[in-house]
Amino acid sequence: MRRRLVLSVSLVVLAIVVALSVLLVTRQPVNATSVPSPLVGQMAPDFRGTDFHGARVHLAALRGKIVVVNFFASWCGPCQVEEPNLITFAWQERLHGVVVLGVVFNDTLAAARAFDAHYGTLYPAMADPNGTIAFHYGVTSPPSTFVIDPRGRVVAELLGPVSTAQLTNVVGRVSA
Amino acid sequence: MTRSTFLGSFRVWLVAVVAVGVWAIVVNPPASTSAQRIAHLENLVKCPSCQDLSVAQSTASSSLAVRHEIATLVHQGRSDTQILTAIEAAYGPTILLSPSTGGVGVLLWALPTGVVVALVVTAVVLRRRR
Amino acid sequence: MILTWLGRFALDAAFLACVIGVVAQVRTLRGRPSRALLWGVGALVAMAAAVGVMQFALITHSFSLAYVAENNATFTPLIYSITGMWSALEGSLLLWALILSALTVAVIHHYRADNTDPVVVWATLVLFVVGGFFILLMVGPADPFLPNPAHVLQGAGPNALLQDNPLVAVHPPLLYAGFVGFAVPFAFAIAMLVTGRVHDRWPLEQRRWTVLAWGSLSVGIVLGAWWSYQVLGWGGFWGWDPVENAALLPWLTATAYIHSVIVQDRRGLFRIWNLSLAVATFAFTVLGTFFTRSGVLQSVHAFSSSTLGPALIGFFALTVGAGIALIAWRGDELRSPVGVDHPASREGLFVANNILFVGFAFVVLLGTVYPLLYEAVNGTQVTVGTPYFATVAAPVSIALLLLMALAPVVSWRTVNAKVLWTRVRASAWVALGAVVALVVAGVHHGAVLGAVFLSVGAAGAAVRTLAGVFTSARRRGDWWSAWRAPSTGGMVVHLGVVVLAVGIVVSTSYTTRSEVTLATHQRTVIDGQLVGFDGLANVKNSLDSQTQLLVSVNGRPLRPAITTFNGRGAQPVGTPAIDSNLLRDVYVTFDAIGGNGAASGAQVATNVPAGSVVLGVTVEPLLSWLWIGGLMVGVGSALSFGRRRHRDEVPA
Repeated sequence: MRRRLVLSVSLVVLAIVVALSVLLVTRQPVNATSVPSPLVGQMAPDFRGTDFHGARVHLAALRGKIVVVNFFASWCGPCQVEEPNLITFAWQERLHGVVVLGVVFNDTLAAARAFDAHYGTLYPAMADPNGTIAFHYGVTSPPSTFVIDPRGRVVAELLGPVSTAQLTNVVGRVSA
Repeated sequence: MTRSTFLGSFRVWLVAVVAVGVWAIVVNPPASTSAQRIAHLENLVKCPSCQDLSVAQSTASSSLAVRHEIATLVHQGRSDTQILTAIEAAYGPTILLSPSTGGVGVLLWALPTGVVVALVVTAVVLRRRR
Repeated sequence: MILTWLGRFALDAAFLACVIGVVAQVRTLRGRPSRALLWGVGALVAMAAAVGVMQFALITHSFSLAYVAENNATFTPLIYSITGMWSALEGSLLLWALILSALTVAVIHHYRADNTDPVVVWATLVLFVVGGFFILLMVGPADPFLPNPAHVLQGAGPNALLQDNPLVAVHPPLLYAGFVGFAVPFAFAIAMLVTGRVHDRWPLEQRRWTVLAWGSLSVGIVLGAWWSYQVLGWGGFWGWDPVENAALLPWLTATAYIHSVIVQDRRGLFRIWNLSLAVATFAFTVLGTFFTRSGVLQSVHAFSSSTLGPALIGFFALTVGAGIALIAWRGDELRSPVGVDHPASREGLFVANNILFVGFAFVVLLGTVYPLLYEAVNGTQVTVGTPYFATVAAPVSIALLLLMALAPVVSWRTVNAKVLWTRVRASAWVALGAVVALVVAGVHHGAVLGAVFLSVGAAGAAVRTLAGVFTSARRRGDWWSAWRAPSTGGMVVHLGVVVLAVGIVVSTSYTTRSEVTLATHQRTVIDGQLVGFDGLANVKNSLDSQTQLLVSVNGRPLRPAITTFNGRGAQPVGTPAIDSNLLRDVYVTFDAIGGNGAASGAQVATNVPAGSVVLGVTVEPLLSWLWIGGLMVGVGSALSFGRRRHRDEVPA
C-alpha cells in the first residue's frame, strides 16, 4: 500500500514537472513589436492640443487622411533610433494624404523640444499634459506608434522602433 | 476563586479575548467611503509603464493619469466592475494585477486549494494507517 | 585578445577538472582511493583564475572584452567595477560557479575522514556534475570572455540602478551562496537514495549545510528588499516579481525541510518527505535561474533574454526526474516504523508547518507561471500581481504565527491541555494586553491586531524556551553552552521572524503616501512630519550628475535627487532620501519640478509655478523593524550552524 502511494504520487509529480518544463521551454522571450492592442479596429480616441510651434492640432479634423500617431520621449533609446525614419517617412508621404503626429510621453517639454530640434523633425509634435492622451491610447512605454485610417479607426499599433519600410508597408495596407 | 486561579483559568482568558475582539470590531469606523474605494481600486491596477507596481505605488505620469480616471469614474457613480472594465478596454487585460476568475482563471484558486486539501488528506490517511 | 584566451582557457580547465572528478569518483566507488580533493581544488583554482581574469579586465577597464564594454566605463569606481562581474548574465554565472566550486572543496575537506564512504563519494560526484553543468553553460552559450570586435575607447557603464548603492556588493553573493548551498543537501539526498543509507546520521548532518544555505538566502533576500526600498523610489520592498518569487520558492521548501528533519531525527518520521524536500529545494533553485535568465517573464531584475532557457529547463527536468525515480525505487525501504500520535503534538504541528510552507510554495509557483500558461492556452496576456499573492500570504502567515506560538511549548507525541495552558498562559495574557493597548491607542485594523496578538504569543514561546535553556546552563555553571544549544539559534530566528512580521503588517497597513508642492523656504506638515524645501543644488562628480533638493524633515536634512549617470544613453533615475528611526521611516522622492523644467531630468508639472517642486512623502511606521528582524534571523541561523547531537550518540 505504501509503495503504491509513493509510486502514484511520484508519477503525478513527474507528470506536472514534465508539463511545466514543456510549457516553459516553448515560451518565446518577450518580443518588442508584436503586442496586440485592444484599440485595433476601434475608433481612435480623439484629442486636441497645440504643437511646439503653436499651431492647433485636432485629431478628428484630420478625418480623410491616414494619421500616424507616434508617442515618444527624449530619454528613450529606440525613439532616438526611429526618429530619422519617421522624418523620412513623413516627408515622403506628405503629398499622399498621410499625416505624422508626435505626442510627448512621460517627459519634460524642454527635453522633447530639444529632441525635435536635434533631429530636425519635419512633422508636428505636441505635449500631453497629465498623460490623458497616452491613457486613452493605452500606451505603456515609448515608442508606440498608432496608424489610423481615413475613417478614424485604429488599424495597427507598433511597439518599438519603426523603420521606413515597416511604416510604408502598414500604411500601404490601409484601404482608402 | 482566588486571584491566581482566576487569571489561570483558560475559560476566563477565552472570554476576555472574545470581548476584546468584539470591542475592536465595534470601535471600527464604518465601511467604504469614496476615498477607500479609490484606494482599493488603485491597488488593483498596474502602472502602465512599470513592471509590477500598482498605480497606487507609482508616481509615473501614466500612473497619475490612470488615478485621475479612477477618481473621476468613482465620483460619477460607476461600480468597481465597470471601472475596471473601462481601464481594461484602454490597456488590455495585462493592466489588471489580479486576473479575472472566469474560465482558466478559476485554476488560480482551485489548484492551490486542491493541493492543500490533498496534502492534508494524505497526512490524515497516513496517520490512520498506523 | 589575450584576456579572452586566458579566460576561456581557465573555464575549459575548470570544466575538465569537474569531468575528471566525476570519473575519479566512479573509480573510487570501485575501490580506488579518493582523488576528490585534487580535482575539486583543481576546479576551484581554475574558476578562481577565470574570475581573476574578469576582475582584472573590469578593474583596468579593458574593453577588448564585450562584457566589460557593456558593463563598465573608464570612470566606474572600483567597487562598481568589481560588482560589475555579476551585473549581467554571463558574469553572474562566473560568481555562481566560483561559489559552487569553493563549496565542493569545503564539503570534500569536511568529510575527508570518510572519503571512501559511498554516500560521500556519490554526493561529491553529484556536486561535480552540477558544477560541470554551470561551467559548461559558460563554455558554450553564455561566454563571458567574448571578444569585442570594435575598438572602443569608452564603455556603457553598469546599469544605473546597479551603481546607485553599495548593497550590490553583498546581496547577489549572499543570494548565490544560498542557492548554490542547496546543492549540498541535494547531492547527499541523491547519495542516500542511491546507496540506500537513509537511516543514520546523514539526514541530520545535512541540516547543518541547509541551515547555512538558508541563512545566507534569508539575509540575501532581506538585503535585496532593503536595496529595492532604498533605490526604486516607491517606498516598498517586495513586488511579487517573478525573479523575487524565484528566490522565495527554494526558501519556502528549505524552511519546511529544516523543521521536518528535526522530527526525522527525533522519531524517524518523514524520511521520504524530507528527501523530496531536499530535491525540490535544489530543483527550485535551478528553476529560479531559468526565470531570471531566460527572458520568458518580464521583470525588473531579469537579465537579458538568452539561449540558456532550454538548457536550464533540461537540467531542471533532469534533477527532478532523477530524484523522483530514485525515491520511487527506494520508497518501500524508507517507511517509518512509527507515526504521528496526535495532530496537536509537536510532530503534528510540524506536519501543519510543512503543509503550509509547501502549499504556499505551490501558490507562488502557480502565480508566477500562470501568465505563461494563460498565454499558451488563450493567446492573450494577463498579469498576476500583489493582490493575488497577498490574499494567499495573509492567512498562511497568520497560521504560521499561531504554530510558532504553540510548537515550542508543546510536547512530543502527546498533548496535555492543562500543562500546555500553564506554559502558554503568561504569553496569552501579555498578548491580549498588547491588543487592548493598541485598540485604546486607535489601532482598529483587524489584520494588525491579529498579527500582533499572535506575534506576542510566538515571541513568548521563544523567550520561554530560551529562558529555560539559559537557566539550566547557568545552573550547570556553563553559560557559554547555552549559545550552542540546539534550540537557541532556532528561537532567535523565530524572534527575528516575529519582528519582521510585525514590521511588515504594520507598515503595509498604515503607510501613507502624499504628494506635496512646496515653494522655496516653504514648510508644511504632512502626516505629522514637518517637511520643508530650501532650494536646489546641482552636484557633479566623475560618476554622475545630480539635481538635489535640499529638504528638511522635522529639522533633519535630506537630499532626494534625480541622478544621471555618465555613459551613453544613461537615463535619469530618482534617488530617494530616507529619514529612518525605530518608529517610522519618512521616505522622500523628487517627483516633479514646476515651470518649464530646466535641465533637471525630473518630470514637469505644468500647473506648478517655476521654483516650486513636487515632493513625494511616504510615512511608513515600523519599517526599520524589517531590517532588524532580518539581522536577528541571520544571527539565529549562524547560532544554529553548530552541531546538533544525533539522537543515537551517547553524550560523553
